[in-house]
Amino acid sequence: MPEQPDRDDPIVSRSMSAPLLAASLILVGTLAWALYDEFYGLRPWKPYQREFIRLYTRYLEKAIPEQAAAEQRVRESEAFQKLEQQFQAAEAAAAPRVSEIDREIRDLDRRISVLTDVFQLARGKIGALTYRAETASSQRGKEKLLEEIQRVKEGPFRARLPVPDGTVETINYTFDQLEEEYNRLKQRKASLIADRAVALEEATAWRRQRDAYLQEHLVGLTEQQMRGLGRGVQSFQIEIKQINVPDTQLVDRCESCHVGIREPVTLSRADMSGQAVFVTHPNKALLKIHDPDRFGCSPCHGGNGRATSSIEKAHGQYKHWLWPLSPMENVEAGCQQCHGRDIVLEHAEVLNHGKELFRLRGCIGCHRFEGFDDERERLQATRQYIQQLLAQRAESEREIERSIQLGDAAATNEEAQRHYAQAENLRVGISKLDAEAEQLRIQAASLLREEKRIGPNLKEVRVKLRRDWIPVWLENPHAWRPTTKMPRFRLRRDELEAIAAFIWQSGIEAKLPAQPPGNPTRGKELFETRGCLACHARGEGEDAGGGSFAANLSRVGEKTNYNYLVRWIHNPRERTRPYCSLEKRDLGPEDYARKGLPFVLDLEHSTCPNDGEELQVQSGTVMPSLRLTWEEARDLASYLMTQRRQNPPPYPKADYMDDPNLKEQGKFWVRHYGCAGCHEIAGLEEEGRIGTDLTTEGSKPIDRLDFALFTIPAQRQGWRTHKNFFERKLADPAFFDQGKIRPRTEQLKMPNPNVTPGEIRALTTFLMGSTEPAFPQSYFYRPTDQRRDIQEGWWIVAKYNCMGCHQVRIGKKSVLMTLAAYQTPEGKDQLPPPLIGAGARLNPEWMARFLENPALSATDLNRNGVRTYLRARMPTFNLSVGEIQKLVRFFQALSSQAQPYIPPKLAPLTDRERLMAEQLFTHPAAPCLKCHATGDPAHDRTAIAPNFLLVKERLKPGWTERWIIDPAGIIPGTAMPSGLFRREGGRWVFSGPLPAGVHGYPGDHAELLVRYMFQLSAEEQRRLSGRLAASAPARSAGVSANLVQSH
Amino acid sequence: MDWHQIWENATKPDNIPIAAMLFLVPFYTWYGLRQAFHTDRLIAELEADPQKAKTHHRKIFPFKPGWEREVHTWPYLMRIEFLAAVIVTIILMIWSITLNAPLEEPANPNLTPNESRAPWYFVGLQEMLVYFDPWIAGVLMPTLIIIGLMVIPYIDTNPLGNGYYTFRQRRIAILGFCFGFLVLWVGMVMVGTFIRGPGWIWFWPGETWDHNALVFEVNRDLPDLVGITSTPGKFIFGGLVVGLYYLATGYALHRLMSITEFHRKIYRRLSLLQYLTIQAFAITMIGLPVKMLLRHLPRAFGLPAIKYIWVTPWFNV
Repeated sequence: MPEQPDRDDPIVSRSMSAPLLAASLILVGTLAWALYDEFYGLRPWKPYQREFIRLYTRYLEKAIPEQAAAEQRVRESEAFQKLEQQFQAAEAAAAPRVSEIDREIRDLDRRISVLTDVFQLARGKIGALTYRAETASSQRGKEKLLEEIQRVKEGPFRARLPVPDGTVETINYTFDQLEEEYNRLKQRKASLIADRAVALEEATAWRRQRDAYLQEHLVGLTEQQMRGLGRGVQSFQIEIKQINVPDTQLVDRCESCHVGIREPVTLSRADMSGQAVFVTHPNKALLKIHDPDRFGCSPCHGGNGRATSSIEKAHGQYKHWLWPLSPMENVEAGCQQCHGRDIVLEHAEVLNHGKELFRLRGCIGCHRFEGFDDERERLQATRQYIQQLLAQRAESEREIERSIQLGDAAATNEEAQRHYAQAENLRVGISKLDAEAEQLRIQAASLLREEKRIGPNLKEVRVKLRRDWIPVWLENPHAWRPTTKMPRFRLRRDELEAIAAFIWQSGIEAKLPAQPPGNPTRGKELFETRGCLACHARGEGEDAGGGSFAANLSRVGEKTNYNYLVRWIHNPRERTRPYCSLEKRDLGPEDYARKGLPFVLDLEHSTCPNDGEELQVQSGTVMPSLRLTWEEARDLASYLMTQRRQNPPPYPKADYMDDPNLKEQGKFWVRHYGCAGCHEIAGLEEEGRIGTDLTTEGSKPIDRLDFALFTIPAQRQGWRTHKNFFERKLADPAFFDQGKIRPRTEQLKMPNPNVTPGEIRALTTFLMGSTEPAFPQSYFYRPTDQRRDIQEGWWIVAKYNCMGCHQVRIGKKSVLMTLAAYQTPEGKDQLPPPLIGAGARLNPEWMARFLENPALSATDLNRNGVRTYLRARMPTFNLSVGEIQKLVRFFQALSSQAQPYIPPKLAPLTDRERLMAEQLFTHPAAPCLKCHATGDPAHDRTAIAPNFLLVKERLKPGWTERWIIDPAGIIPGTAMPSGLFRREGGRWVFSGPLPAGVHGYPGDHAELLVRYMFQLSAEEQRRLSGRLAASAPARSAGVSANLVQSH
Repeated sequence: MDWHQIWENATKPDNIPIAAMLFLVPFYTWYGLRQAFHTDRLIAELEADPQKAKTHHRKIFPFKPGWEREVHTWPYLMRIEFLAAVIVTIILMIWSITLNAPLEEPANPNLTPNESRAPWYFVGLQEMLVYFDPWIAGVLMPTLIIIGLMVIPYIDTNPLGNGYYTFRQRRIAILGFCFGFLVLWVGMVMVGTFIRGPGWIWFWPGETWDHNALVFEVNRDLPDLVGITSTPGKFIFGGLVVGLYYLATGYALHRLMSITEFHRKIYRRLSLLQYLTIQAFAITMIGLPVKMLLRHLPRAFGLPAIKYIWVTPWFNV
């Protein structure tokens, strides 16, 4: 081998140093990169936390002095100083005793600490020996160990205990003595601590009062609490902040960046130099209900709670995370996930709005959604169940016969007995089945009554409508009535004509009695005062006023038949013909005549003359009966007939509607477009819903939402999301048909719902939150207690629009409250009563009776049962038994009333008490009967409060007492004067000059008066009101003025 | 796949190996062949000059006088291997820093993705399912591939080419490998990755992969095209056609294997079992592209494509 390698030999002569050096440097570089990535690249929350510390410290430095100054102001206030002095004095008084106890405890503590050590060592040693003895394998070994334990227990255990005078005493204990002494000292200490608390009791109470005063009068935290926050920031650990809920396998690390979200102060963006990430949660009340330690963040907001590597990942805004963060405008979608059963939800107005739209706009007519409008389905299920029971019953009857036969033929007595006993049991079983079937029939009848349609009954078009108007309406309902819930179908001319023809020709031919014309001026007044405006609006565009629950009536005169309108107003539930679901047709007078029955349709005559099936005898409308007289109905109808733009309306002739050739074709299109989802149409009564079930639409895999030709553009432009699908579809339902070449019947048929961007947002929020349950059961809001009554009740309240007239939720105005006519003081007196706290006020049994018949009379229907003085009329809703129960339970639950309600017994009045009560009752400073109705028509014309005779049945005594003491606290702005009583020596005393007889009465005046009212008889009231009329009438305005003076 | 989708697809962390393969496989093939041709030239040179052959020790570089006969493993080999190890480490580190595991949403058995693509190394097998019945493509063929790879040492009677690159001395082996691995295996991986889109439809590069895409294709069994309807008839007819294919291809291969004196020499060294084994595997391997052509070629002329040739109640070929 040559010593010098050949310089040309590429293998031996070429130096590899340069590439090796370069590669090594690059390797070191990548190592550094990997470390950087590990510590910073993958942990972007670190800089967030550092920034938060900086900004928060700055914020606190600024806020603490401000808060301290505010606190100082409270501390300097007289009330606080007084409490402080009381506290100081109490503390000083207790000081000698406390210091004595403290000294003794200190001495005890020293002895205990020495003894604890000795005792624990001894116990440990004996415990170990005991264990060995228990597990010793041989009897001999065991005995030896037991002996040893005995020996050890003998001790001696030496303890060098300190004595209060500073010396030390040495005591030798056996184990038992040691244990006893140890326990004795501990008990002694416990009793001393209790003594100390007793000694300080008064001081503690004062301190508590002082602190409570500070809390109440200081907005925000105290300076001390703020300083605590500051200390927290100083010892802040930079680390992943994690919420871990083991039973739901939830891990949310959102707070690693959103560090300030739960801070007890309120941090705005401005406080945090514009960094939105550091603000506190905008709704602290919500956080209190949904404690983040139990619920985390992502269940409500979406996003990937575990991810910490980037904003996109954490917010779940990438293709593979199925539950991305809800956008701010749809944030309430999160509520819907667990609160699907609530139709009205606190803190979620957008969602509530979405649900209301979904129901009211008739989305539910085509799209099934669990819980919404399910009466028809439940009715079907109930009917099926009844059939099953009947089959079971027949089966049992055959079985009975067989058992008896077997018994008769049995060889032995015992066997025969056995067969007969079985037959007996089956018979009892049948009676049980009968009872069950009866209940189900009641339920079915209830459901039949509850079933409502979104749109009007189209069987009545011929008696109700002007023929030529129908095509105009179908063409574009929004052009004719911009606020209508009827959506616009994209109909071709031939489809439109066929549909119109079918609807027209399938309508019932009936002759309505001709009505004489009414007085439109009176009609107008009725329209404005009876409460029509709670649901209906009048006027177009900017001038529109009234509710949006039902149709805007500004052009109703152009399309409607007067005779029909009169009948409708008189009783909207009255059908022209009843519908039998067994025969699947509308019955006519001929069916009744054949059986010799009168053609009467009401709830008492609701069975089919042919087969006994429960008939649909009511129109499926939620419009209630206002119990008007025929004359009033005519006046109202005459007024409504004046509501038109042009007279006569310029609708082109539509003779094709009478062309029988179009009927079949029309039926095809009516079925195709699902008209029967909202309307009752002859021959299509049992039609199902034609749209997609939307119950879990929000979590439907994105691939199953048909973006059609927009699939790829949407993906590239980043709008292939549920949100955008819903929004685009709602704005233009035919959007995804663009570019598709399809036959007419396969094109998208969803009609244009005519919704505003705000409404789209609400509906989208609702749909986005309607997801497949992804959480454990415990997250869902499905209460089983009173809260469930509230949940269920809201559905009824919303269904019949109780909020049109009544205020049901605190802070939410009724429609009437917003109308101009109810803004004046007289107008305010005419407002229907708010129902907040109605459950506490009303006896539930009475409430049920009232809801059934608000006139509270079988004969005199044209009036309000309670507030006869109100011009607005509480209508008769024809509620089913179930609905009444739900409503009553709802109001009781809203006021947290125990159920069932058992009226408390009130002590009967003695003669003296009765006399005193009567004096108070008729006291000139507060003559009750001045304002309250008495039943005397002359008096009641000016009355503005209910009759006292209703009190006994209607009210709860506890509430009544609270009411007369402070009515304004219960219903602000009520005409009932406040301050009738004043507190004196632990009882309520009448504020006015006391009548002679009442002087010296030791009892509670308010309580006395309540007892009196609950025992007031009609006779007595008549007597008293007669006396009042005779004396000079006190002015009602003067009542409160008097009281204020005497107060 | 349109160009946007191609870019998206090729840069998916999942598909990085495939995209890399697109460049690395041709490069290394070229590199290996270049080396092989070098050696072939050297062999020719040495064969022409037997004197030179005696002093030549380096098999890959052309001979230079004065070079060392042998070099030590350390440092001359080790330093190169070390450098390679460093470079591979760098590549792996950068790869693992920049490309995260391509995790997707939790699997949902009620919603399987369309298309469900096999891992990249099995996409070729998946492509085979288009042409054969699952038993053949999914079980029989993969088994044959593995067995075929295992028998190579036992049927390779050519002693040349050990430890150096050469093309001339191993022409059939190298061509066989190029065909079986590069054309069939890698080629089908490429087809399965870049050509087959939603619904496993054939999309030419530039066509958008669209889930809503509809195509019209007609596949017919060969016996049906000929007009045979009875099951035994189909069985016998298909068997005959397949048998005929085996005979014809076998004859062609035989001619190829005995094309030069060198090859005849190797052929003479083979036992009958070795020879038949080679033939059986080779014919079966060639069967795959034949079947692919039968599917695709008629379509180009607007004729119905051949689905199966041999149709039996138990298997279809």
